[in-house]
Parts: sequence; C-alpha cells; structure tokens
Amino acid sequence: MVMPVSIQSRQAMGKLVLPFLILVACGVILLGKADRPLVEHMRMQVADLLAPAYGLVAWPQARLRELSGNLQDIRNLEAENIRLRTENANLQHWYDVAAALADENATLKANLHWIPDEAPSYVTGRVVRDTSGLYARAVLLAINPDTNVRKDGIALDGAGLAGRVTEVGKRSARVLLITDSSSRLPVTLESSHAAAIMAGDNSSTPKIIYYPQDNLPVEGERVVTNGEIESLPAGLPVGHVHYLRPGTPVVIPAAALEHLDILRIFNYSDAVVPPDAPGRIPLPTVGRTMTLPPQFQPKRG
Amino acid sequence: MKPLSPPSLKPEIQPRSGLAHGTDLFVRHCLPCLFVLLVTLVLSAPLNIPGQAELMPAIVQVSVFLWSVFRPALMPSVAVFGLGMCVDLLSFDPPGVMLLVLLVVHGVGLSGRYVLARLNVFVLWLVFGVVMVMATAMQWVLCSALALHLVETVPFMFECVLAFGSFPVLYVIFVWTYRFIVNDANRA
Repeated sequence: MVMPVSIQSRQAMGKLVLPFLILVACGVILLGKADRPLVEHMRMQVADLLAPAYGLVAWPQARLRELSGNLQDIRNLEAENIRLRTENANLQHWYDVAAALADENATLKANLHWIPDEAPSYVTGRVVRDTSGLYARAVLLAINPDTNVRKDGIALDGAGLAGRVTEVGKRSARVLLITDSSSRLPVTLESSHAAAIMAGDNSSTPKIIYYPQDNLPVEGERVVTNGEIESLPAGLPVGHVHYLRPGTPVVIPAAALEHLDILRIFNYSDAVVPPDAPGRIPLPTVGRTMTLPPQFQPKRG
Repeated sequence: MKPLSPPSLKPEIQPRSGLAHGTDLFVRHCLPCLFVLLVTLVLSAPLNIPGQAELMPAIVQVSVFLWSVFRPALMPSVAVFGLGMCVDLLSFDPPGVMLLVLLVVHGVGLSGRYVLARLNVFVLWLVFGVVMVMATAMQWVLCSALALHLVETVPFMFECVLAFGSFPVLYVIFVWTYRFIVNDANRA
C-alpha cells in the first residue's frame, strides 16, 4: 500500500534526504571508530568476493613481466655465456684441485691411522643486544635456560670466529668479541706458518703482535686459531692479514662483527683432557710460587 | 468544433514503450553511477599504477561533482551514499570519511548548481579546485582526528592536485556521455 503524499511534503522530504545521509555518514564514522573489527571483516569479505577478478588483473601483469624478463635474458645471453664459460673453466680447475687434495688426504689419513675429530656440540642463539660501549666490545646472546652453554664457549658466526663466552646468566650469555681490548688469542698465520697473538684494541681490526721478526705476516694471508688454549681448537677461521701501515699488521675479522645476528656457541672445553703424567712436574698457575712434588723437596732437619 | 489542444512538445513518432525501451532508458540513466562504480572497482584492483590510491577518490569526486551540478537527477544523494560506501569498503582509510566527503561535495554541487551550471568551464574548474581544497582539508582533519595524531599531508595534497588535474579529462568524458548517451535517450 502506497501512502498518498502531497507534492509539498514530497519536496520537503527530498530536501531532507541529503542532511539525513550526512548524519548517517557521521554515524558510519563513529561506528568504524567504535567497532573496527566489524569494518575490517566487511572489507575482507568484499576483498574475498573480488579476489578472482583481481587475480584476472594480476595474471596478465605477471605474464608480461615474465615475458619482458625473458626478453632481457635473451639480450644478455651472449655476455652471460662468455662469463659462464670462463667461470666453468675456473671451477673445473678448482674441482681438479679439490679432487686431488681429497685423494691425497684420504691416503695420508689411511697411512697415519688418523683418529677423526669428535664433532663438537653447539647451540645457536640470537644476538639480542650489542652491549658494546666506548671501552668494550661484547654482545648479549639469548639462550634457553636448559641449554648447555658454559663459560669459555667459542662463539662463531657463519664466516668465522666472533668471540668467547665470558658470563652465563639464566637466559642470556655475554660474548666478549675478539675486537675487545682485553681479548688476546693465539693464532697461526696460515701461509707463513708463523705463530702470533691477535690482540683486540676496541677498533674493528685487532692487531697482530709477537709475530716472528724473520717471518713477517703476508698481506692477505688467512689467520686461523692454533690449539694453544684447551678450549679453543686449532684451525678455526679468524680472518685475514692486512697492513694498515708498514709494520702494523692487523686482522680483518671474517665474522661480521659490526652486525652480528645469530651466533653458534661451540663447547670444546672437554674435548681434550690431558692424561695423567706421573713424574711430570705440573706447571704452576700464573701468580703462584712453584711447589715441588714431595720426592723432590729438599729434606730438612 | 475542434477543441483547442496545446501543441505537442515531443515528436509525433515515439518508440513503443515496451520492456526493451524501458531497459534501455534505465541503463542510460544509470550510466553515471555505473561509470563511477566501475572506476572504483578497476582502480582498487592491483594494477600497480603509481598514485593509484589517490587517483580513485580524485576521479570519483570529480565525477560526482560534475553530475551533481549538471544532472542531479542521474546522481541522486542515495546513489552518492552507495558509491561512498563502495569506495570506503574498497579502500583502507578510516571508514566513513570518504563517504562524508563525497556527500559534502555532492551537496555543494547540488546547492550551487543554478550558479555553477551557467559558469564558463574554466571558472567552474577553478571553483571545483576551491571545493577540492576544502574537501581534502576536511578529509585530512577527520583522518587526523580519528587517528589521534597529525597524519602526513602529502598524500592528501597529491589527491587534491590529481583531482584538479583530472577535471578537464573527466569533463570531456562527461560532456560526451551526456550528449550521446544520456540525452540521446530523451531525444529519441
């Protein structure tokens, strides 16, 4: 049933439509502010409804991009081929070298009755904070309470040695980086076969000190750890040698110490246990006077 | 004696008013709203056009303004409300803001149409620019108020400039649609 409406009232109602709609719009704004999830839900439903159409739009774009990428590839084919050929020759050479070395290694190990190294246990943790200040270079590592991280654990990132664990808390461990001024590590320079000490000085490049004067470090040679300390095995990559000035060799660390993200903590502390050596005089710990075993002590009285 | 009858204003030969003719008229009259709806849908698709997010409200506002000034019968307030809801649902701005701005632009066009429709195109363009600046300022104020901090002004300025710049193109489209599609039906 349609109510008869006079022309005047119809005109008046027509004039009221817009203000009414504006009021409704204000209501929509308030509703959107009050019930955000409802609006998001409605928007997601509309988007779901339109998703197939959007897919239709996106599909030719993806094809076009693929096509243009292919065309670009075809244009670069010549240069790419030349590059790949040289790289292939290079890699073939290295493959031969590696195969020869692997063969040699296998023969040598067979002849020596080589005892393979025990695989070290390790845990991986995320670096949560760089606690480096003006006078220290250290990072804080988040660890699980029940993981086996001990003091003197060795921290490595993907490329090389980063530092050593100095303090272990319940949920975090502090790793003193090799660039810290209190860090002193015995290292081997790989091609000149010289032993030296790498001493951090709070700069990004630790110094090399106590290297033999008749066998100077060579620019660019690899620096690895040597097995002088029990908790630090030999052969871990540290970095390579660089001369800042003539006479001042430094190590450029292989690990990205400026932006450490994930560190692996290796536990080598119980890897090597020295056997009992009766009759051998144990060395005194630093700062103590040496006491001789009873049989060597001078008899009194 | 033959009774006096007023001369007929319409041509004598008229198409028969059947279902087909009614549908034709209806579609022709819906065309402005359909155009805006289509623009909204197309520009909300992932086309990767730079400035796409600002282009959609700009085109919608220009179209609504033009039709409100020249043929409000084809762009009624309720239709503007529906289009505003569509724009709101398809964008990710605070809900309701674009709806309100569209209704205000429509209201300005509607109330000033007796003056605006007689203006020169270039003067109308300038007037539209002023309306756009005010509408964009309102949009910015509303968005800032709803977000409880001052939002960045650059996208809003960009939207305003886009709307101002797309006015001539849309005016040409509007004139063409008006002459050859919408008005043709009345003449036929």
